[in-house]
Amino acid sequence: MAAIRVRDLRKTFAAKRKAAGLRGSLAALWRPEHDTVQAVDGIGFEMEPGELLGFIGPNGAGKSTTIKILTGILYPTAGDVDVLGFVPWQARRDLAFHIGTVFGQRPQLWYHLPAVDTFQLFGKIYELDDAVVRRRIDALADAFDIRHLLLTPVRKLSLGQRMRCEVAASLLHQPRLLLLDEPSIGLDVVAKQRIRDTIRHLNAAEGVGVLLTSHDAGDIESLCKRVIIVNHGRIVYDDKVSTLKRQFLTSKRVEVRYAESMPAGFTVEGTEILKVGKGGYGVKLAFDTRRTPVEAVVARLAAAGTLVDMTIEDPTLEEVIRAIYETARPHAGAGDGEASAAVATAGAVGEPPGAAP
Amino acid sequence: MLRRELRFLTALWKANLQAAMEYRAAFVAQVVGMMLNNAVYFAIWVVFFDRFGQVRGWQLGDMVLLFAVTATGFGLAAVGFGNVLAMADVIAGGGLDYYLTLPRPVLVHVLASRSRYGGLGDVCYGVLTFALLADAGPSAFARFALGSVLSMVVFVAFMVLVQSLAFWMGSASQLSAQSVNALLTFALYPISLFDGTAKFLLFTILPAAFVGSVPAALVRDFTWPAFAQLAGAAFALLALALVVFHRGLRRYESGSAVRVQV
Ligand SMILES: Nc1ncnc2c1ncn2[C@@H]1O[C@H](COP(=O)(O)OP(=O)(O)O)[C@@H](O)[C@H]1O
Ligand SMILES: [Mg+2]
Repeated sequence: MAAIRVRDLRKTFAAKRKAAGLRGSLAALWRPEHDTVQAVDGIGFEMEPGELLGFIGPNGAGKSTTIKILTGILYPTAGDVDVLGFVPWQARRDLAFHIGTVFGQRPQLWYHLPAVDTFQLFGKIYELDDAVVRRRIDALADAFDIRHLLLTPVRKLSLGQRMRCEVAASLLHQPRLLLLDEPSIGLDVVAKQRIRDTIRHLNAAEGVGVLLTSHDAGDIESLCKRVIIVNHGRIVYDDKVSTLKRQFLTSKRVEVRYAESMPAGFTVEGTEILKVGKGGYGVKLAFDTRRTPVEAVVARLAAAGTLVDMTIEDPTLEEVIRAIYETARPHAGAGDGEASAAVATAGAVGEPPGAAP
Repeated sequence: MLRRELRFLTALWKANLQAAMEYRAAFVAQVVGMMLNNAVYFAIWVVFFDRFGQVRGWQLGDMVLLFAVTATGFGLAAVGFGNVLAMADVIAGGGLDYYLTLPRPVLVHVLASRSRYGGLGDVCYGVLTFALLADAGPSAFARFALGSVLSMVVFVAFMVLVQSLAFWMGSASQLSAQSVNALLTFALYPISLFDGTAKFLLFTILPAAFVGSVPAALVRDFTWPAFAQLAGAAFALLALALVVFHRGLRRYESGSAVRVQV
């Protein structure tokens, strides 16, 4: 049985317009004026127990709204949802015993208390035996490397330390499913990596299913096997991360700086020069890893002059989404049937993105 | 089931106290400050009754009792269910998310998640001044406890009603603050000052009578009909508050609300 089953989920928000002040509030009570926002617009997917599923999309795509419906925080406008056999908004409390939630932007740990006090309180909230709570805290303290942080008031922890404690707290009652909304938001690279490692570890160790949202494709890439990409409240991609990588994360962008000036009309085989900076010291170029391997590009760039600096960037999420849309656009004589399942939007699959400039 | 919720409440109150103990000085200042505040405020009535003796049958002793019961009722609400004074903001700011992801009744959980220890000053003030009244024996204290708790229930229920308007209005914090003020102000006047429409309002739309003079009368002379009237009013109001809150909860929009100020 699937851990999560979502069918044609929709959520419309009414963005209220109201005049300032009490008078405006009362007026809005009688005669509300609405702009509607279609936050989730027909999302459907399934998630297996124990799966590590990524849910990515740009800001405002509808990720948080979806998670909030899955936890029972929000009532949907339409659609069917089944989480661990419960309809979240009808059986919110029963469901809460079996899932853990972390909202990166909404801490659960009591700010003025040491994390261990919130853990104890959660023990009472989840009706666990004191002895069980003690043992569980002990185990989590090791798994998350937070033993030395547990007695410090949460307000004195760094964001990364706090987030490790947050995730640990959400696991106190040994949920079968963990819903994480932007757990790595605001963290530096090292802290991000640490959170990812821990999540992967507990997914493997306890078999807890993880649904994780992020607007940072990197999170998903290093964590999940399967990814769902949402945009404007709809799913635009639902398949393996590896397929996504092979199909859509292939166009790289490189920025280099040389010690000496490059001549006008400077080219590098297998790449497209986007821009040569003033004086010819800085160069921006793009290439496709399916046609030109990274090492070849690096070697050619190094051979062209004395490299002072170099950065290689993945395409942004927005670029990936654009590429997915382009790929999904119906084409005559579509090839590459393998990718068609990958693209959730209807239509055959044409040329891979960035194949020809 | 009730035992379970009570254990959970106790744990919450303990956590609140632990958090307050992180700032001991502020804690003491709040408690003592509130006691002094009440005493100074009441001093005005002492002066008043000293000059006029009585107002429409009310004497200083009646006022002491009225203040004691109302302060204790309000204080219990502030300490035990302190978020009742801030719930509109919690709702409008998406603050219910936290409670909705945890397996406890949302309303009780929200209300009890914050203790305002100024309320402890109110309770101390109420109990001490009541003890100063001549006839305050053990049975009087039992009546006092009963009256204060019912006063608290009425206050909490009414405020939940007002704060829940945030589900429909988007923001109800101003209205809530004004309601608290109005409720307490009118609760602390001798009820004999009002008649006709004003009195009717204080038993209905703004149930200040059930926060102040009615529980105070019950503490003075316990009768079953008087008790039934107050308890009935308290629980009817509480039931209404629960219905309205849960109706509102279906409309809850969580955080990141886009609210356009025109
Ligand atoms: N409470 C709300 N009221 C009105 N609009 C909202 C509310 N919450 C979210 N939205 C809107 O719904 C869309 C999706 O939001 P959200 O689910 O938070 O996106 P994400 O988490 O992917 O960034 C956005 O356009 C956002 O502005
Ligand atoms: Mg979000």
